[in-house]
Amino acid sequence: MAEILTPTTPEQLRDAVGWALGSRTPLEIIGSGSKRAYGHAVKTNAVLDCSKLSGILFYEPEELVISAHAGTPLADIKAALAEKNQQFHFEPGNFPELLGSGNAPDAGTIGGLVACNLAGPRRIKVGSARDHLLGFQAVSGRAEDFKSGGRVMKNVTGFDLSKLMSGSFGTLGVMHTVTLKVMPCDEQSATVIVACDDPKKAGKAMTAAMGCENEVSGAAWISAADIAGLEIPVASEFGSGLVVLRVEGPKPSVAWRAEALCKALASFGETHELADSYSHRVWQYVADARPFVETSGGASLLWRVSVPPAIGGDVCAQLQDVTGGRAMMDWAGGLIWLALDDADAMANRIREIAEMAGGQANLVRAPERVRETVPVFHPESPALARINAKIKENFDPEGILNPGRLMPGTQIAEGA
Amino acid sequence: MLRMPEPNQNTLARRKDIIAAMRDIVPATGGVIVDEDQLRPYECDGLMAYRQLPMIVVLPENTGQVAAILKYCHENKVRIVPRGAGTGLSGGALPMADAITISMMKFNRVLEIDWDNRAAVVQPGVTNLGITRAVEHKGFYYAPDPSSQIACSIGGNIAENSGGVHCLKYGLTTNNVLGVEMVTIEGEILRVGGKGLDQAGYDLLGLITGSEGLLGIVTEVTVRILRKPETARALLLGFNSSEEGGKCVAAIIAAGIIPGGLEMMDAPAIKATEDFVHAGYPLDVEALLLVELDGPQVEVDYLIDRVGKIATDCGAIYSRISENEEERLLFWSGRKNAFPAIGRISPDYMCMDGTIPRGRLAEVLTGMQELSKRHGLGVANVFHAGDGNLHPLIMFDANKAGDLEKAEAFGADILKLCVEVGGVLSGEHGIGVEKRDLMGEMFTQDDMMHQERIKMAFDEDQLLNPGKVFPTLHGCGELKTLHAKAVADKFPDIPRF
Repeated sequence: MAEILTPTTPEQLRDAVGWALGSRTPLEIIGSGSKRAYGHAVKTNAVLDCSKLSGILFYEPEELVISAHAGTPLADIKAALAEKNQQFHFEPGNFPELLGSGNAPDAGTIGGLVACNLAGPRRIKVGSARDHLLGFQAVSGRAEDFKSGGRVMKNVTGFDLSKLMSGSFGTLGVMHTVTLKVMPCDEQSATVIVACDDPKKAGKAMTAAMGCENEVSGAAWISAADIAGLEIPVASEFGSGLVVLRVEGPKPSVAWRAEALCKALASFGETHELADSYSHRVWQYVADARPFVETSGGASLLWRVSVPPAIGGDVCAQLQDVTGGRAMMDWAGGLIWLALDDADAMANRIREIAEMAGGQANLVRAPERVRETVPVFHPESPALARINAKIKENFDPEGILNPGRLMPGTQIAEGA
Repeated sequence: MLRMPEPNQNTLARRKDIIAAMRDIVPATGGVIVDEDQLRPYECDGLMAYRQLPMIVVLPENTGQVAAILKYCHENKVRIVPRGAGTGLSGGALPMADAITISMMKFNRVLEIDWDNRAAVVQPGVTNLGITRAVEHKGFYYAPDPSSQIACSIGGNIAENSGGVHCLKYGLTTNNVLGVEMVTIEGEILRVGGKGLDQAGYDLLGLITGSEGLLGIVTEVTVRILRKPETARALLLGFNSSEEGGKCVAAIIAAGIIPGGLEMMDAPAIKATEDFVHAGYPLDVEALLLVELDGPQVEVDYLIDRVGKIATDCGAIYSRISENEEERLLFWSGRKNAFPAIGRISPDYMCMDGTIPRGRLAEVLTGMQELSKRHGLGVANVFHAGDGNLHPLIMFDANKAGDLEKAEAFGADILKLCVEVGGVLSGEHGIGVEKRDLMGEMFTQDDMMHQERIKMAFDEDQLLNPGKVFPTLHGCGELKTLHAKAVADKFPDIPRF
């Protein structure tokens, strides 16, 4: 029978990990479980549920900093930020529908967001969760408390373990407290749309936009098939795929830059400027990868291919040709979402294409039976894998924290 | 007084063999430095209070040579101190009597500018400003700008995770580096990150950045370059107290404005710099804010206006807006010359580097005045007000017996005060040897041992830059041992289902 441990304090969390260490019981670590289907299944009967390690510890808008227990619902945090007209600048997407785990807005916990190192369209300008995590407190697989960083923006005191913990999927330590940088919401957002069906050409258009001085904070390409989902009449009227480009900032600046961008991109296709509310809708759609939400109950395979942005258009075209899949580009071409209708993940082929372009590919969504044979996360080079394995062993010597989550068949603890 | 690890007599006895081996690997004339007079320039970095002649200095010219040197050192258990331009302020490149100092300054080429991906690939000895110089003809620049940018190397910036005056808006080195090539102590060449935005596995790039030469030697760097903002303008704002100045900073940010630069100086710093560079700073204010807005002209004009109004509401008694580029640079010249300005009025000064939550500034400055009286030494303050990074400049006279010790004690007390109010020991200079023994003020033994476990994953024999960052080095065995207190036999008494 499954054992679910639900610590409510950092001390209880340490006790729980201490017990797992003593009894060599592997733990699956979850917050709200909203991204549980991302990565490999953790084969254990013991779940460490961190959702009760919850609550905002402090939020100081003038200092641009918020600190909360890791299990705090993202919805609570976003509500607090919204009240002060602030945001996480890296605009993490909301994925429960994508991953088939409900349809809650702002799902998940703040700890889960950091552990998965989420980042939305603004990544091209401001980075991902790792660039905004100022500090954390955690319990490692040694059942010891440890922390790194702090609550200030500028800090080079000791090794930057905040980076290490971001995106480590709970395999090195269980965070109970995280402190993040927040930023003011921009006064205005405008999106320039450019008619473009060809992903190669779209890639060039996005590269051109990023290279000009209009401080583009979002650059994506949506194929013609997925434009209807935006529910923006003027976008649908184009009757083609669209390059979407965002500028944000003070009102006069946004107006000036949007106009400049329209002019600069005119040679790529017909352009149009979307007003504020439509602009927000576009980027929510892109951040959440809405075109790939399965409404009919199916769950096609979904890849997330990350390459140097300027080559993204070419890679996207090649992936579409080779797989027959449906794609969307974000991060000015640096991120390609690719949905396959077929049951075959085509992992080797897709990873080969990604690597040739200097990138990598992660399998975001697939039935568990596929994930049992196909590594979800792109394998590291052997040299990096050796170092990563040593770090894992040093932080979690018995392999009790999320064993196998990153790579199936490894890091499985004995016992229990 | 600072204690460094004891020199290994066995290594010293093998000095001749080691020199021969290094000459085999780096045959170029001047590639291996062994004579005392030529070693002398390497005896310290920017933290000149501590000096030590290196055993030898080696200047490799390519990655293969670096790999061969490290492999040799690993096999023969010889310690290494990596060195860039030697401008570091925390003693991170302080040599050891039994260690090879590896200078990376022959790695001075810009390898590739990838305009389409907005990335520059450079060797680690290229200066920070050298990157901007290589891309500015097309309107690009490299954002982090430590005040030593004309001399400091990008490799050193990676080691220290250097900052500058634009961090609040544009981030530190860690937010602007995309990838590195690094040689491990075993002589293996790693590529971490690249022009894409994701990397497989744990975020080793984030770990390497700011690791102060303890994890490996970086031989190539890929950084993000940005389009230079169309224009920039600055405001000088004077206040009756640091508290009011601090409140103005908070009000600007609360209004949703993130200035490119946001600096504050206290009265002693204002006076010293004005006497030195005549930037036109007002002398009858207790705090001076320098606010820079950058972006398209229309945005900058709009924001200058808004910041001016906020300042008036916050009780500014002085306000001046730069009307042209010359004037903007004049405003900055005072701030940028603050350190030498203090150098003019005091025989010596020690530059501290804590970061505090901005809201605690007035309290920290008051506390610092009390400490100043107690230690009998003057202090002037320049403050990266946007990001909370404080640089108190302690004035002393090294020729006066006991003054250096007093300054060190004063500096330590300031940093303890920073930690007490929720801040940190170092905002951008690094720990090195300077703040090594204060690490315990911020971290528990367990915190530090987890950091050391990273070190162990890269450099088990602790050959790379020993004696830096960590006050005590734990052996590998100790770091691997599970603590009995942590391991529980009983099922914990916590909610379960």
